[in-house]
Amino acid sequence: MIRYAIILKTWQLQETKDPLIIRKGIMERRVVITAGSVITPIGHVKDEIIRNLINGVSGVKALRKDDLLANYIHSNVFGTVDYPIEYDFKRSHRKTMGPVAYYACQVVKEILKQAALDDDFISSGRLGVSFGSTHGSPTVQRDIYRNFFSGSQDQFSSVSAVDYLKSMVHTTAVNITKMFGITGRLISSSTACTTSSQSIGLGYEMVKYGMQDAMICGGADEYDTTTVAVFDNLLACSTAFNDTPHLTPRPFEVRRDGLVVGEGGGAVLLEEYEQAKKRGTNIMAEIIGFSCNNNGGNLILPDVEGTKETLRLGLKSAKIRADEVDFISAHATGTKMGDVIEAQAIHSIYDNSPYITSLKSYMGHTMGTCGVIEMVLTLYMMEKGFIAPTLNLNEIDKRCAMIRHVTELCESDIRVAAIQNFAFGGVNTCLIMKKI
Amino acid sequence: MQLTRREILNDLIRIFRENFEIDNPGTDDDLREEYEFDSIDAIELLVEIEKMLGFALTQEEKKQAMDIRTLDQVCDYIENLAVTRD
Repeated sequence: MIRYAIILKTWQLQETKDPLIIRKGIMERRVVITAGSVITPIGHVKDEIIRNLINGVSGVKALRKDDLLANYIHSNVFGTVDYPIEYDFKRSHRKTMGPVAYYACQVVKEILKQAALDDDFISSGRLGVSFGSTHGSPTVQRDIYRNFFSGSQDQFSSVSAVDYLKSMVHTTAVNITKMFGITGRLISSSTACTTSSQSIGLGYEMVKYGMQDAMICGGADEYDTTTVAVFDNLLACSTAFNDTPHLTPRPFEVRRDGLVVGEGGGAVLLEEYEQAKKRGTNIMAEIIGFSCNNNGGNLILPDVEGTKETLRLGLKSAKIRADEVDFISAHATGTKMGDVIEAQAIHSIYDNSPYITSLKSYMGHTMGTCGVIEMVLTLYMMEKGFIAPTLNLNEIDKRCAMIRHVTELCESDIRVAAIQNFAFGGVNTCLIMKKI
Repeated sequence: MQLTRREILNDLIRIFRENFEIDNPGTDDDLREEYEFDSIDAIELLVEIEKMLGFALTQEEKKQAMDIRTLDQVCDYIENLAVTRD
């Protein structure tokens, strides 16, 4: 009895000193999405994005002619954010921000406004940030290297003191913490096309396992022709629709000829369920599963076994059966091989049960941002009770036909949705969320 | 040609307006407290001072500037540099 009392006392002591010890022992906490905001080629404001999804409006336009590489690239299309965004950032914040951080900080500002978190909580250390980009700010990096290689004999410093802060790979995450005074954990994933989906997944695990009570998660990528050049050189970019940009990309379609690079930003706020309920805040959905693995081989080519394993692990993490998933937001970039491999993997795991849409058909591949954008757009469809079709899917490639494509706008109550993303380097992610 | 204190001050006021969005700071204002002018800004300002003076500053000279808090002190710093270099 005495021994039991001592153990209990020690346990209580640990509880007061370090609540994580107790949390780890007794629970995996529920994690909900309580706010979301995106900047996309088809709009920034929620109503506008929904309208464009319903009306089948594409955000793919002509590639801007900048002074770097644009004239040598075969693909002349881009998912572009060409509308003005009214930023209202102080100079003390702006001075360390490149274009990518503007996108990041704007969407985070909007989700913090939506969620109306207390200022005390924001700076309590219990709110963290998991946010990334493909490679920081290429615009700023270009300026740095332009100075380096200009041959200038200027004796004064040619590289600004803030250039690194503006361009570094975790510039989005740290500018967010600086602007909003966030002192919790910081994760900055940079895994190409899985950057933001991985950021959300890692943030989800932070809250689920009690390391943080809430996480701001997402990603951003700015306009950049060098990214187009990379995919162009790999023969992965769309080139056949340069004169009709809105007709590409064409995921799963017979005439698809490659991906279209895009830009944008997006953020979601993840909160521990009980806290969100207690606050009485709007709950958009619950994240019930996350998986992330690697193909363990080729860094570029898609891998059906690695992809299948991701989907399987996602369902296992969510503790649900395949037939419980109503909708899959496919990665489906519109490449010849990637779409076939993904269709095979989906069919293998899900048969032809869930509806499938490629949201990239509306805006191209927004790179590190695609996961969070596709999640937020799926949340919008969940709320409004519809599923947007894959754009330009006039004739389905027979090799992709065994899954349940959405070819027309349909009313549907999505209860469970999966967001799939795959990246260079063989990184795969699957996020599963549920309406509550 | 050596700059007068008035010319230095006018140049600095222009630099603060154009580069740091700080309009007409008082000569005794604490730049950090009043305008969130931090060490990163100070480094940027030193580049502008180099251009103003027409010569590159040494690392030691730059380090001496890190404790400066007011516009008056920036003027003193520039005047001293000009004298030292003469």
